[in-house]
Amino acid sequence: MSFHRSIRTIYGKELVDILRDRRTLIAMIVVPIVLYPLLMLGSIQAVSYQAESMEDEPLVVGILGEQQAVELQLLIERDTLALRQEKEQLDPESDEAIQFPSPLDHFQLRSFASPEALETSIQNRMINLGVVLSGEIRTDMPDRTNSVQLLYDFEDIRSMFARNRLGEMLERTADRVRTARKQHLGLPEAFDKPFEITAKDLSTPSSILGQILPLILILMTITGAIYPAIDLTAGERERGTLESLMVSPVPVIDLIVGKFLVVTTVAIMGAALNLASVTATVYFGGFDKMIAGTGGGIPIVTMVVILLCLIPFAVLMSAIMIAVCSFARTFKEAQNYVTPVILAVLIPGGIAALPATRLEGIMLVMPVGNMVLLAKEFLLGATVPALHIVMVLISTTLYAGAAVALAANIFGKESVVFADAGSFKAGLTRGLIKPSARPTISMGLLFVAVLFPVWFFVQAAFSPGPDEDASGLLHATGVLMPVLFVILPVAMAAYWKIDIRNTFSLRVPPLRHLFAGILVGVSAWVPAHELNVLQQFLFGIPQNVIESAERMGEALFALPVASVFLLIALVPALCEELLFRGFLLSGLGSAAKKWTAILVAGAVFGVFHFFLFKFPVTFVLGILLGYLCWQSRSILPGIIAHFLHNAIGATSALWQEEWLGWLGVQADDEWAHLPLRVLVVGGVVFVGGVLMMSRRKEPARESYTTTIPDGS
Amino acid sequence: MDVVVADNLVKVFPTPDGREKRAVDGLSFRVQSGHIYGLLGPNGAGKTTTLRLLSGLMAPTSGSASLGGFDVSTQPNDVKRVLGFLTANTGLYQRLTARELLVYFARLHRIEPDASAARAEELINWLGIGDFAALRCGALSTGQKQRVNIARALVADPPILIMDEPTLGLDVLSNRIILEYIKRERDGGKTIILSTHYLDEAEDMCDRIGLLHDGKLVAEGDLASLRLLAGEERLSNIFLKLIHANEKVEAVVR
Repeated sequence: MSFHRSIRTIYGKELVDILRDRRTLIAMIVVPIVLYPLLMLGSIQAVSYQAESMEDEPLVVGILGEQQAVELQLLIERDTLALRQEKEQLDPESDEAIQFPSPLDHFQLRSFASPEALETSIQNRMINLGVVLSGEIRTDMPDRTNSVQLLYDFEDIRSMFARNRLGEMLERTADRVRTARKQHLGLPEAFDKPFEITAKDLSTPSSILGQILPLILILMTITGAIYPAIDLTAGERERGTLESLMVSPVPVIDLIVGKFLVVTTVAIMGAALNLASVTATVYFGGFDKMIAGTGGGIPIVTMVVILLCLIPFAVLMSAIMIAVCSFARTFKEAQNYVTPVILAVLIPGGIAALPATRLEGIMLVMPVGNMVLLAKEFLLGATVPALHIVMVLISTTLYAGAAVALAANIFGKESVVFADAGSFKAGLTRGLIKPSARPTISMGLLFVAVLFPVWFFVQAAFSPGPDEDASGLLHATGVLMPVLFVILPVAMAAYWKIDIRNTFSLRVPPLRHLFAGILVGVSAWVPAHELNVLQQFLFGIPQNVIESAERMGEALFALPVASVFLLIALVPALCEELLFRGFLLSGLGSAAKKWTAILVAGAVFGVFHFFLFKFPVTFVLGILLGYLCWQSRSILPGIIAHFLHNAIGATSALWQEEWLGWLGVQADDEWAHLPLRVLVVGGVVFVGGVLMMSRRKEPARESYTTTIPDGS
Repeated sequence: MDVVVADNLVKVFPTPDGREKRAVDGLSFRVQSGHIYGLLGPNGAGKTTTLRLLSGLMAPTSGSASLGGFDVSTQPNDVKRVLGFLTANTGLYQRLTARELLVYFARLHRIEPDASAARAEELINWLGIGDFAALRCGALSTGQKQRVNIARALVADPPILIMDEPTLGLDVLSNRIILEYIKRERDGGKTIILSTHYLDEAEDMCDRIGLLHDGKLVAEGDLASLRLLAGEERLSNIFLKLIHANEKVEAVVR
């Protein structure tokens, strides 16, 4: 197709162009190859130097009372002596000997006269640790407990180090005394050890990497995307090549998609080089043990997983960067726009990198954050449910698609191409907005991209607890759906002077389409049921779907019948039709071809139902309803079909026994195929309805047929 | 046959202080096939905006225009297929060679790869680009760049050319070369709209001239009819007389 050919042409040229640029090459190749090894060497050496110097430097321990200082000194000396003797008994080659504790030979004791002076000295960090003994230390009296209080500063790493070392020494001494006491009394060794508790750390080397690496790599990927994104958008304008590009017979969307793919390519190449550089540095520098802990080595598989996780992220970032830079006329302007965007990206990224954050709830659809979490979960070796992966990928795709659509709408707009054509602000100043027939594709996609996490959050916030039914969720939906799905887009359309009647297809439909809507509405449950049965047969039913259906069922019985039909059938039918078949489909239809628009709107409709299990049915229904609206040029047949379909669903749940009896189905087998006669009758009605949709109502001549395209 | 038709074109820009500037104000004219139409006017007269409206780079506030029978507003891609567009300050891709650039634009016009390379070679020979066709555009001189730019505008062999001050900032030799190429294109049957404020150039080149002032067409015709209209021989005098600038010049000189 010529569409792909022009994208390929643009992609090829832009890639050559950008790779010939010294600045790209420096950012992409020189920086990772030189800078990261240097940084890593530097920081690792600094850390190890610090650790070494801590071992070498004397730690100053203050102790209350001179006599006590002598006693503590004695304890340390005795411990040193005992350690030496114990170590001599070990095989010097064994692990035990290598990890044998070292004596406290760097400790300096200083006695203090008053507790206040001791505490102040610790707070001022004059000394590292304070020790207060309750009295004379006597280890030779079996009925005596010696009390030792350690004063330290949690914020001071040296203080913590001294506390641990001294604490260990006291533990060792206590062990020895205990052993001596047991021997003295003739008690067995196990006398005071009814339990031997050991704990084993199972964190893999990658887990440490898992916490830091994703965030580092995010920065690397962004760094890779920034320059090409600016160069290919604002740079084009600044160098004066934009005009000649815009007078070429290529749709703007092709230009943007080609450019976006180049930015993505460069970002992924940059990320891969960065990753390879880090891996090589760690391996050849011999730092793998230091980074990964005693387990040693970074598995190559882990690195591949990280790279795979980076690809969707690079896609999203490139789309965002291209969109942001499309607003800019100059390099400088673009850089100013990019900086806050990077900060905005780092916030969800940073939240996701926190050890306690898991991939669940709102984080599933958090832009950027969900990608970081997914990478983290993989690296931690956690099993990520397929649904979660799908959610992350779908929401990321949705955001990236919206960003690319936005870019295509902005790039080459005359207010951006020509400085004298007025500022971009003019596009938001209502007085200067020209009336248009329908929303743009980017307005439609952006709206659902923003609504998606919001709606997800609403659903999560009102989802029923373990002992609740879903009536809270139903009521919240009943209130919020009209606001978010209808009032908001209508208000947007009104502000931007978009023809509301045309956008939401508020027309009287032809009778045949009304009839088609009724036929499909009353029969769609038949194919939907069979599709569900097939899914159940192929994949089984996820537990969460069953639970959610149960809660919903309980809610139906808890509510008055009128409320059930209002909340289950009428509100969703009205609101979802107006949003998905009204605002979204009109927006998509303004630039995309008929079936692309219908399929995308159907997919978005499916995604908005959140359950992967429900996706096939809602996707197919979404396509049908989109087709119905497109053919009839009216929202009404779809509303009727949607209402009837949902109402039948509610009826079958409310009066299940009667319903199943009427169908002639065994009450205990809800996943059985429908009886043949129901299949035949339902199928015929359904297919008849779909066939009736096929004739399109020709658009009446309107005062304006299309908006004036901007160079596309 | 009229290849270019502008009908009551209006372009209004919002100004920062919230008012409106009518850069093009009810402009109508026609250009015959195989003619060079000169659009003349002082700085800020609306020449560039007019040419951008005609090429579909900008949408008119009202009015309409068509090129080669295609409406600029509703058939922008068809218009772009029959149009070559050139300005004085059109940039080239600095990191592509002249040859690569020509092939790229040929490909954007949906010309097959082999044919694109052949067309690029043809233009390289025809416009004398051979010596620097393998150099990156960033390394070319202004005159060389403008020759490459002409080749770019001609790459799809469009029947209509729009040239916005194509000789601005060129030395005498380059200037002469460029103008010769434009004439050759006209003689080859192309329809050309040329905007300039070098009046000698216009006098020498144009079959018809439109004088633009404050977004309006003050006078239009071939050189002979303009001379008759203004009662002046030289185009510069005709020009000053028709835009009533003589008084202003005298006021300043005095």
